[in-house]
Amino acid sequence: MGLAPMLRITGLAKYFGGVRAVDGLDIQIDKGEIFGLIGPNGSGKSTTVNLICGVFPQTSGTIELDNVDLGKMAPHQRIESGVSRTFQNIRLFGELTVWQNLWVAWRDAPGHETNWLVNWFGSPADRQHEIQKLLEFSGLGDHSDKPANSLSFGEQRQLELARAMASKPKLILLDEPAAGMNSEEVADLKERILTMKELGMTVLLVEHVMDLVMSVTDRITVLNFGKPIAEGTPVEIQNNEAVQEAYFGSAKNVEAGA
Amino acid sequence: MNFDHIDVVQSLIDGVLFGSVYALLGLGFTLIFGAMHKLNMAYAASSIAGAYVGLATITIFAVPTVLAFVVGPLAAGVVGLLIYISCFQFMPRNNLLAPLMASIGALFFIDEVIIDQTAGSPITFPVLLPDAYFPVGEYGFRGDLLFIAFASFILMGVIVFMLYRTKMGLATRAASQQPVASLLCGIPTHRTNSTVFILAGVLGGFAGCLAAAAVGVLSPLLTLPLTVKGLIVTVIGGLGSIRGAIVAGFMIGALENLFLLFRGVNERDIYVFLVLFLFLVVRPNGLFGTSIDRD
Repeated sequence: MGLAPMLRITGLAKYFGGVRAVDGLDIQIDKGEIFGLIGPNGSGKSTTVNLICGVFPQTSGTIELDNVDLGKMAPHQRIESGVSRTFQNIRLFGELTVWQNLWVAWRDAPGHETNWLVNWFGSPADRQHEIQKLLEFSGLGDHSDKPANSLSFGEQRQLELARAMASKPKLILLDEPAAGMNSEEVADLKERILTMKELGMTVLLVEHVMDLVMSVTDRITVLNFGKPIAEGTPVEIQNNEAVQEAYFGSAKNVEAGA
Repeated sequence: MNFDHIDVVQSLIDGVLFGSVYALLGLGFTLIFGAMHKLNMAYAASSIAGAYVGLATITIFAVPTVLAFVVGPLAAGVVGLLIYISCFQFMPRNNLLAPLMASIGALFFIDEVIIDQTAGSPITFPVLLPDAYFPVGEYGFRGDLLFIAFASFILMGVIVFMLYRTKMGLATRAASQQPVASLLCGIPTHRTNSTVFILAGVLGGFAGCLAAAAVGVLSPLLTLPLTVKGLIVTVIGGLGSIRGAIVAGFMIGALENLFLLFRGVNERDIYVFLVLFLFLVVRPNGLFGTSIDRD
């Protein structure tokens, strides 16, 4: 382990009153890795994603991205530091057109930033080409001038992913990207995540669709009641007893419930 | 009493032209409401404050009147920013009442400062273009009202362009539609919000100067009527609707002048409020209002 991990989460905890939504989570994600975070409903996956991007402050623990402490930053500063995300329930800017959704989230590549005035009040012409390229990548090339809320469900999911990529993040958090998708769309999403991996992107994938998680991730952490109960490769996780117990309940529990 | 059609048409013309002041104010209210889904009750007061600063500048430094229309809006923009910082920025996003009450406090504070500084008495505001009058057949256009309408159209055009064609405007609309998601897409909402408050302030300051010039005096007594008229225009147009605020502004200007012609100055506002009442009963979302889903 010569290189420091890209994302280092240490002892992360979040209590909502007496509820320990996340309780002592350690995760390290290396650059270029597709990392899975799974667990039953209410196990703290989405809370973890929300903590990383600053929706609410953590109770304790640290979150570092490339050795920069994100813990105390406002959400938009974390985006500037290189985090971006998609949402479990789609949150596009519905009245804006498809390409405008990308433009408002757009960040110029490091070293090519324009000044504040030009960025916020100038014309988008310089970026139009790049935005269009990102739209082509997402399969939305023909829809750029449509309002986002006129797209189909699958297209909206694709646009969310494109919007998350528009800020040129170091780390993309995908919060249940396959939720509500049919099998065809899931297969399409799988291809896209694998392409992202080829492009060297680093992804934290929170997902319930196990086929998808098992086929694209390099490593997985399993959460249950806010605590990590297992970590390993997809194969290791599939054979892990504690994980099977968390998902399906143990024989003991079944007897107790009966 | 008998009114011929010339009187009616003439008062409609004057009313629509003066309505651009209401349109500007309504636009300012609606911009802020559109961005934050909160009302800034101190908005018209900041507009009048800006007009006072403009008036003070031309009086103290003996510079041309037109400079009041530059300094006033800028000062109102600064006041707008201060109102944002003091009444909105640090309030929890889901608390709608706190900024409302805080901005009502700011309204009275600004009012009291003006009363204190002017000893409560009205001050003459120089009339714009006193000799300009353009007769067209049986009717005529007052030069100052034409100027007011023309300047308002330009300002509205600039605002609409910014909202729909610049990243700042799109980011503001994005933040309005999805407050949480926009933050998590890297939109610095405090920055977009303060920009909206400054821009709305500038619009209001301009409207304040225009109103003062058209009326001929500046008085702390103007703040409450302008607050109420601005809110009426915003509600009738549909809260958060830009074109609604503009259309309703001209509409209220025209109706107000008709009521003035037919019923006199004492009863004028009664009928304006009746129009508001009618809208609230029959069309509570206003002319162009929609209910928007947001998180």
